[in-house]
Amino acid sequence: MVAQLFLNGLVTGLLLALPALALTLIFGIMRFANFAVGALLTLGAYAGYLANVTFGLPLPMAAAFAALVVGLACVLCDELVFERLRERGSITLLVASMGVSLVIENICRFAFGNAARSFDLAVARPIRWNGIRINYEQMTTAGVVVVALILFHLLLSASPLGRAMRAVADNPSLAAVRGVERRTVARITWMLTGALIGIAGVLAGLDRAIDPLMGWNYQIPIFAAAILGGLGSPLGAVAGALLIGIAEEMSTLVLPPSYRQIVSFSVILLLLLFRTNGLFGAKAVRK
Amino acid sequence: MNAHAAAPPPASALDDPRDHALAVAGLRAGYGRGGDIVCGIDMIQKPETIVTVIGPNGSGKSSFIKTLAGLLPARAGRIEVTGRDITALSPARRVAAGLAYVPQEANVFASLTIAENLKLATEFIRGRAGVGPGQRERVLALFPELGQRPKTLAGNLSGGQRQMLAFACALLANPEVLLLDEPSAGLSPKIVGETMEAVVRVREAGVTVLLVEQNVAAALAIADEVVVLVAGRLSLRAKAGDVKQADLAGLFFGKEA
Repeated sequence: MVAQLFLNGLVTGLLLALPALALTLIFGIMRFANFAVGALLTLGAYAGYLANVTFGLPLPMAAAFAALVVGLACVLCDELVFERLRERGSITLLVASMGVSLVIENICRFAFGNAARSFDLAVARPIRWNGIRINYEQMTTAGVVVVALILFHLLLSASPLGRAMRAVADNPSLAAVRGVERRTVARITWMLTGALIGIAGVLAGLDRAIDPLMGWNYQIPIFAAAILGGLGSPLGAVAGALLIGIAEEMSTLVLPPSYRQIVSFSVILLLLLFRTNGLFGAKAVRK
Repeated sequence: MNAHAAAPPPASALDDPRDHALAVAGLRAGYGRGGDIVCGIDMIQKPETIVTVIGPNGSGKSSFIKTLAGLLPARAGRIEVTGRDITALSPARRVAAGLAYVPQEANVFASLTIAENLKLATEFIRGRAGVGPGQRERVLALFPELGQRPKTLAGNLSGGQRQMLAFACALLANPEVLLLDEPSAGLSPKIVGETMEAVVRVREAGVTVLLVEQNVAAALAIADEVVVLVAGRLSLRAKAGDVKQADLAGLFFGKEA
């Protein structure tokens, strides 16, 4: 039972890792917490649904389509809303992202209605191993997320683009002097993080029904994960996501399952009270 | 080095442009909708000299150097580097035109390693002649300790080491003119001395240096010429040897020289 919950938690955590990473990267470059992350995840699930069910594409293609759609949606939101408000400060941007969240959610509702939907998938019998049930959706999720995280890690740590992204997050005016245009880097970052959220949306759609409010199930855990890892720290966000996922599932040992979001709220509360930099936020550079 | 010397001289009021590394004419700049902070500065600097800009707080020194670097847009006037007009260029294109800039503080990427900082110094600068492994070797020869621990995070360096890294990054772009905004800020007296020695080494490597400095004594010791800025205007320009600190008090408090 404990092992089963741990495994479920690990997969939930992996699913949270992509949007948490997206949230933390956008925070680094744009200096605000993007509250629309949940709605963008919903958009990703619907884009995947459109490709998979309406167009009849296989799921990997649907995920690629969702990545593209959400990436473009992020660039569009930036162009129309966030870039124009950038000078007004992070609180204005945070509030604006709540508005963007409502708009995206209602576009989904307008296009697809309130009814719960799901992907067109063959039902498969879960694998049993030492008394633990592992279903195919979980394996897909784990595989896709691990590959995406490795690719993103390589991109951030070893490519010129990754260096440029970290440089802008660290010191935008110095980056400008070095020929790194913040605007270009910001657009690319939106596109890439949107792709991460889109893929996460499709993975979330494998796990539960697709409806206009599904993003809200992930919103608070995503924020808890990113804050736990120290906002702005990519590795921290991934570690935070795994911890939150596992803690949420394990909490069902002592709490009714419908209360498991309490874990995320408590983590945010405790961090705000005792460790505002998160677990990894302050460690990177010792002043 | 003189890649631009063959270009026809620009139509400006400045005399023979090939003879000055940096030329500024009628430069005005300010923030937002406020009044001018830099109120019409004219200045010519000969190649391979060190000119120090000093002045009281709020005299526009830092705004002046930011305008030269392109971080603050010029409202009027022109800036030329080795005879080429760069007034309309972005900060990065100015680097490509031969004008490197070291900001006052936060002049390295603290969360990146030394090696990454050095790499970023030229990675995105296009079209600058003399950038490459040769220049990298020359720069690391000036600052040998940087080559020794490439994996150290720049944010973990001491103030003096950080300053050396910032100089090195600027020099990797093979500049004609190096702008330094208060290189001694936040450093202990001993490190200030080392930093100023490094500035002299940079000049000996053939680079023209313009620095803004609060630490007048340290700046006078290495400068060829001193420019005093009061209320956004040049109030005195003199050979560094001719200026005594006692004279400066009068200037700083607004009396004409």
